[in-house]
Amino acid sequence: MSDSSYTRQLAELRHADSGSFGGKSSTLGELIAGGIPVPPGFAVSTSAFCAFVDEAGLVGKIAAETARISPGDVESIGAASHAISEAMRFAPVPDAVRDEVAQRYAELGEPPVAVRSSALGEDSQDATFAGQQETYLWVRGAEHVCDAVRDCWVSLFSSPAIAYRARLGGGDEPAMGVAVQLMVDAEVSGVLFTCNPVSGDPSMIAVNASWGLGLAVVGGEVTPDDYLVSKITREVVREHVHAKDVEYVPDAGGRGAVRVEVPEERREVPCVEAAELDALVDVAGRIERYFGSHQDVEWAIARGGELPASLFIVQSRPVTAMNRPAGTPAAASAMALVMSAFGVGERKD
Amino acid sequence: MAAPSAVGSFPNPYEIETPPGCEGWEDMYPYYGRFDEERREADEQRFWFWNSMHFPVPMPAFDAICIDTAYQALGSWQNRVFAVPPAMGIDWRCINGYIYISGNPVLDPEKIAERAGYFQKRAGYYYENWDELYAKWRTKMDALIAELGELRVPQLGEYEPDEVAFGDEETSYVAVLDAYRTALRLADVMWQHHFEFLLLGYGAYMTFAELCKANLPDIPDQHIAQMVAGLDVLLFRPDAELRRLARLAIEIGVDSAFVEGRSPEEIDTELAASEAGRSWLAELETVKEPWFHMATGDGLYHTYTSWLDDPRIPYASLIGYVGALKAGENIERPSDHIAQERDRLATEYAALLGDEARQGFDQLLALSRTVFPYVEEHKFLCDYWFLTSWWNKIREFGDLLVAHGFFENRDDIFQLSRLEVYSALDELLLTWATGGQPRGPKYWPPIVTRRRELLARLGEWTPPPAVGAVPEAVLDPALIMLWGVTTERVHAWAREQEGGSVLTGAAASPGVVEGLARVVKTVGEIGDVRDGEILVCSITSPAWAPIFSKIRAAVTDIGGIMSHAAIVCREYGLPAVVGTGRATSAIKTGQLIRVDGTAGTVTILE
Repeated sequence: MSDSSYTRQLAELRHADSGSFGGKSSTLGELIAGGIPVPPGFAVSTSAFCAFVDEAGLVGKIAAETARISPGDVESIGAASHAISEAMRFAPVPDAVRDEVAQRYAELGEPPVAVRSSALGEDSQDATFAGQQETYLWVRGAEHVCDAVRDCWVSLFSSPAIAYRARLGGGDEPAMGVAVQLMVDAEVSGVLFTCNPVSGDPSMIAVNASWGLGLAVVGGEVTPDDYLVSKITREVVREHVHAKDVEYVPDAGGRGAVRVEVPEERREVPCVEAAELDALVDVAGRIERYFGSHQDVEWAIARGGELPASLFIVQSRPVTAMNRPAGTPAAASAMALVMSAFGVGERKD
Repeated sequence: MAAPSAVGSFPNPYEIETPPGCEGWEDMYPYYGRFDEERREADEQRFWFWNSMHFPVPMPAFDAICIDTAYQALGSWQNRVFAVPPAMGIDWRCINGYIYISGNPVLDPEKIAERAGYFQKRAGYYYENWDELYAKWRTKMDALIAELGELRVPQLGEYEPDEVAFGDEETSYVAVLDAYRTALRLADVMWQHHFEFLLLGYGAYMTFAELCKANLPDIPDQHIAQMVAGLDVLLFRPDAELRRLARLAIEIGVDSAFVEGRSPEEIDTELAASEAGRSWLAELETVKEPWFHMATGDGLYHTYTSWLDDPRIPYASLIGYVGALKAGENIERPSDHIAQERDRLATEYAALLGDEARQGFDQLLALSRTVFPYVEEHKFLCDYWFLTSWWNKIREFGDLLVAHGFFENRDDIFQLSRLEVYSALDELLLTWATGGQPRGPKYWPPIVTRRRELLARLGEWTPPPAVGAVPEAVLDPALIMLWGVTTERVHAWAREQEGGSVLTGAAASPGVVEGLARVVKTVGEIGDVRDGEILVCSITSPAWAPIFSKIRAAVTDIGGIMSHAAIVCREYGLPAVVGTGRATSAIKTGQLIRVDGTAGTVTILE
């Protein structure tokens, strides 16, 4: 399908493609190129979104509705969001797009997949769009995948997303790519930083982990287990195990994910073991080296698998908010520092 | 400095009661070592902490020389030689036989600035010429130890020898008093040497540690220590020699002599019966000088003798090593691994730093490695070798007083202060010369008996970790560097004053274990430690090596990450929490505790 215009294998994408496939998909492509284990999948381009609004005759409506809002006016934003979303939800996905998605999905083997928004400008170092666009988990069947793709597009016009763009002002017409990936049946998942974002220590990996799919950690619905691991010796320097009372698991009907209570006896059990932490530290180091900057990474460990094959990275983006370590006074010589330890120069309290 | 604090409080030193039956303990100590009424107003408002690091048990009267002389020396270097800008020296006071100390701050900004000028010049000179000055120091220490070895305590005969009558020799009363004054002088000189490099050595190390933490806020303390620690440390040589002797015993087939439960004499007797055994004993003799000058404790009490005096400790190690070798275990210190790891850590941490920080890191690491041999070696030379020999020299004066009926046994001398001993010698020499009747033989023995009883009873009393005011901040570099007494630590003590089942201290060696506590208050109790217990003590020394192969973790009342318990635990890979302030009083032998050497906490589980 090299001549396909609306989809591409994730593995073929690079940063340069972020303009046509969005930030998430192109970053996943980069991760694959870096040898990082990413669940296989394909990307839907922003041109598919454009074809969709075009064919549905929504271009004018979107322009008119968004022209009517004033930034900061919650009501006008809500009204525009509602009007656009409703119109989009009932518009058909163009056949050409639908066929391509179905074929890519068939090539994947028609497994359960995660359908994730891949917005333009998302995952850039300057702005954190985190959480503004939708992800649909455990989607099955070509029809449902196409519906989920459309739902991702719709999420581009959620109230927060409109408000966000309005606040930034100007810019191009909004458009969105979508990533479709093999669903990882996560026994445990979470987020890691390739540094300690709180202290700014670059020698540490900070890991948050909880049971089930990553939603619980990303959405802040549980207090995850919390680990600080030395990159240099792989020692766990700090460890806090918390009571993790909810988790997301695949729905019994086979479609979608549901939030369930974690059984009492598992709540306070540490959800990652030494070998898993070790694998996370290992992959974190590779991701950091590949991108050459500190990264905020979403990961999942598949149920019933064996490391390292069971570990998957589902997202990575530059760390945008990181405290800087206090450091030492600029241009202070070693001897001046020793002198100041003895109270020569400024008094330190 | 002394404002009432929200973080808790310490007892008022003037309101602490004398334990029943301990009345008159004050008479053991100099008049200036008490919380007296004359200085009450000032002393109540100062922060005093129990120096359990050096003085974990009640102070025998004679041993107080290790307070006075040590703080004369520390104060001289810190305050009068280097003029550390914000801090002068350490004051001490005694409560129920326990030693509390407090720093004297410099508060006047002009004075601080004036002192800074001296400090920069003088300390700078030391840092710049460290290797050369340290080489000189080693020569001075060697000479001092030799001089102590040569010091003779004259005997008092019925008649003076011919050399007095026909030659130039001094009369015995002059010679004895001279010898005693010389003994005291040698201790003064030792403490002078002891503190010459101490602050600067710890200061360089601490600055490196601070730079690491400023740039790598989560770096474990033990990684900092690992990057600096020496590879061929004098302090570990005695134990290394024992391992070598254990290997030798197996090589030449005399290992069957080393049976668990045998005394050193029994082992020696069996060895002496064979040719091979005699050659092993000959090898042991070559090891004894100097390596058996290792102390059985941290050296500041006369009770901490050397391996020469009490061979049970090295023999217990030998038995353990022989057994381990025969069981096919590897007993070697993994020095190659330690060396590689030391360099790997330094390289990898440096690579994470920006250019400017990396330059400081490299320079301070180099400086720390330069000063560290002193930090590690002064312990063996001063605290162990010199002091254990010196106490034995004092015992020779004890023998003299025993010979003339002043004491029942030689160690009674340590129940008198050094000035009381001078006075007793004075009387002995007076009555020996005049032929008159001495009062001493009736006067001193009841005092000695009473003081022994007092020390035993005071030993049952639990001193609070600190008294007086809770300071807002601890600024004294000496308190921070030498005792690990930081603002956070002091505030934690104050909060914990109320009790509670979690103790906090410095995370000195990583890992988490649970086990039964064994509280060891004196070196004499280390024989009680059983396999798999957690050692809870005021402070340890590397001389306790044999028990570190038995225990699962160590907890101490005082000490920082460079304390000996910390060093040895890292060496043995055992979790350790040091500087808890009150572990020996809060934890009872037999309690189940959890030691988290990574977080620096100790939890009493039952």
